[in-house]
Amino acid sequence: MKLTRSAQRLGRAPLARLDALFNRLYTWRYNPLYHSGALVVACFAVLCVTGLYLLLFYRIGSPYASIERIQGQVFAGRWIRTLHRYASDAAVAAAVIHAFRMGIQNRTWGPRALAWVSGIVLLGVFLLCGWTGYVMVWDTQGQLYAVEGARLFDVFPVFSEPISRTFTGERVMPRAFFFLNLFAHIAVPVGILLILWIHVSRLARTYLWPPRRLLWGMIGALTALSVLWPATLAPEADPLRVPTDVSLDVFYGFWLPWARTVPPELTWLLITAVLVALVAVPWITRPAPEATKASVVDPKFCTGCEQCYHDCPYEAISMVPRDDDRPYPVGVVDPAKCVSCGICAGSCAPMGVGPPGRTGRDQLPAVKQFIARVRPTEDHIVLVACSRSAAGWGAERVGDAPVLAVDCAGDMHSSVVEYLVRAGAGGVVVASCPPRDCWNREGVAWMEARLFEGREAELKERVDRTRVRVVYAAEGERTVLAEAVDRFRSEIRGLDGAVAEEAIQIDTICEVPEVSVAEVDA
Amino acid sequence: MGAVRQLAAFAVAAALCLGIAALSQWPTRTEPGPAVVRLSWRTEPVRVEACRTLTPEELEGVPAHMRRTEECAGDFADYELRLRVDGEGVRVDTISPSGLRADRPVYVLVDAPVEPGRHEVDVRFTALVPADVEAETPPALEWRGQMTLGADEIGLLTTTPDGTALRTVRSQR
Repeated sequence: MKLTRSAQRLGRAPLARLDALFNRLYTWRYNPLYHSGALVVACFAVLCVTGLYLLLFYRIGSPYASIERIQGQVFAGRWIRTLHRYASDAAVAAAVIHAFRMGIQNRTWGPRALAWVSGIVLLGVFLLCGWTGYVMVWDTQGQLYAVEGARLFDVFPVFSEPISRTFTGERVMPRAFFFLNLFAHIAVPVGILLILWIHVSRLARTYLWPPRRLLWGMIGALTALSVLWPATLAPEADPLRVPTDVSLDVFYGFWLPWARTVPPELTWLLITAVLVALVAVPWITRPAPEATKASVVDPKFCTGCEQCYHDCPYEAISMVPRDDDRPYPVGVVDPAKCVSCGICAGSCAPMGVGPPGRTGRDQLPAVKQFIARVRPTEDHIVLVACSRSAAGWGAERVGDAPVLAVDCAGDMHSSVVEYLVRAGAGGVVVASCPPRDCWNREGVAWMEARLFEGREAELKERVDRTRVRVVYAAEGERTVLAEAVDRFRSEIRGLDGAVAEEAIQIDTICEVPEVSVAEVDA
Repeated sequence: MGAVRQLAAFAVAAALCLGIAALSQWPTRTEPGPAVVRLSWRTEPVRVEACRTLTPEELEGVPAHMRRTEECAGDFADYELRLRVDGEGVRVDTISPSGLRADRPVYVLVDAPVEPGRHEVDVRFTALVPADVEAETPPALEWRGQMTLGADEIGLLTTTPDGTALRTVRSQR
């Protein structure tokens, strides 16, 4: 366990630096690292479209010659074939980045294990699909994939005839082989769609497409690359020659140099070890039980407003009839689906739901203690820091701004901000990770809507919103945060002095009176 | 976004794209390697049976419709493959018929690397039939001759279409 935590910490630092760099270059909205999963889907769409075009010209009777003809079409075939190839490479790269990101951010355990395991399967299926794609071409690279693949599978005594004998040169390559290969190359993507559906099935709102500018930017960049640097076509496969001088696609053929030099049993051993290690990640990295306790609804406070039900990113909350006489339903959390993200704590106005110890009601004593300790004045800017943001590294101050640490900006109840403003703080900056990188998916979006757009569990009208600011600052963007705080400081200087209230009683205001059916009807 | 930042954004995107293209066709040029003598064929295995005549007493013990005077028990023979190159023994393998019950065809697939150049190759493939068993032993498959192979070239020895002899196949390119 300690080892995995250390590995995650080790991976987080370079990821944070890369995120910060890409945010600076492309802004968080179009940071491709935040959209790695959606980019895989976009690449898959490009593969389907370009694949359909290539299918029109592919001939199983003369595979290499047909690819040569495609390669000869300077104005279409060549770059479309290249785009097909580069998009498949980009898909693998994006999938690996996506998996790395989820693993490092510890977003794999519990109910998310299904997404993790199906994601591993998806990557495997992608690699398999690429394998059949290269064999289709039947050049020396395709021959290498076919021969080494056959050598691997011949280890299992289930084939009536060793597959390797297909490629010995005894006879002309049968059309049936290329037909089967083409069938697999087309059938496997159908499987990809099915696994993709499983991959996102636990999410309330799936996010499958990157923002339009990023989508078209990626397609444009890959198309330009395909035109400027078209993929070459190696010499035709010759079973009676050892394929050397092969240009290898590292994304799909990374295993070939190893597999060519060791017995296939050893390759299978390695594949099995890697697979077991990957599949075990959700169970190895599961946090301590006290950090993963599922949310609980306190029926006493539930008003049946359904906001937690709508906001939960994992559909872990359902509304059921109450067993008392109140005329509205009550929320119930399914512990098997809850990842203890705490988003519901932020979305419940009467503070009646959330993971034990992290409900809105539990957040208030912490903010009161903070106020008593810091005694914010109108010169103070208080930072409410999401633990995964630039201010979430355990510091008590960033510059001269005192830090109130919260687990996630999304599970922070708006009353926390209200307390700070009404206690006389000159300004409150909520430092969160960028929305597309929210570890709890939608926390930042809901939080911002609650503070500024009147979403249920909203920041009350009585709070001066000009004194509240949300700053997106990823883990590696401390400078961005410091600059934003400075800018905000100069903005609030022009405001009237902040008024500190003595007795702030938000928790008592939020007590829900007992309501009977008769009263509601009346 | 400033012009410098836009330029940097473009440069990073271009570098990423070029990285994809470079890794997509990574050259793995190797020095010309050895030539290969490849033996590859398929043959039906010979069945080796030991038969004996049942005694009248034994025949009495079985139902009338199952009385066969001769009872045979047997198996499919293993084969011995010998490959000599330039008079030197390169491989001596015992090859069993395929399948879990070893009753499927015999598949031979052997790649023997040799130095490029001219070689005297001698191949012999014989069924291993015990001397005390009466069985119709098929003639051994044999081939002896010279092969001239270039670097990375594979000289294939396989059976003729009727399966009774070995022949060479070379690359036409």
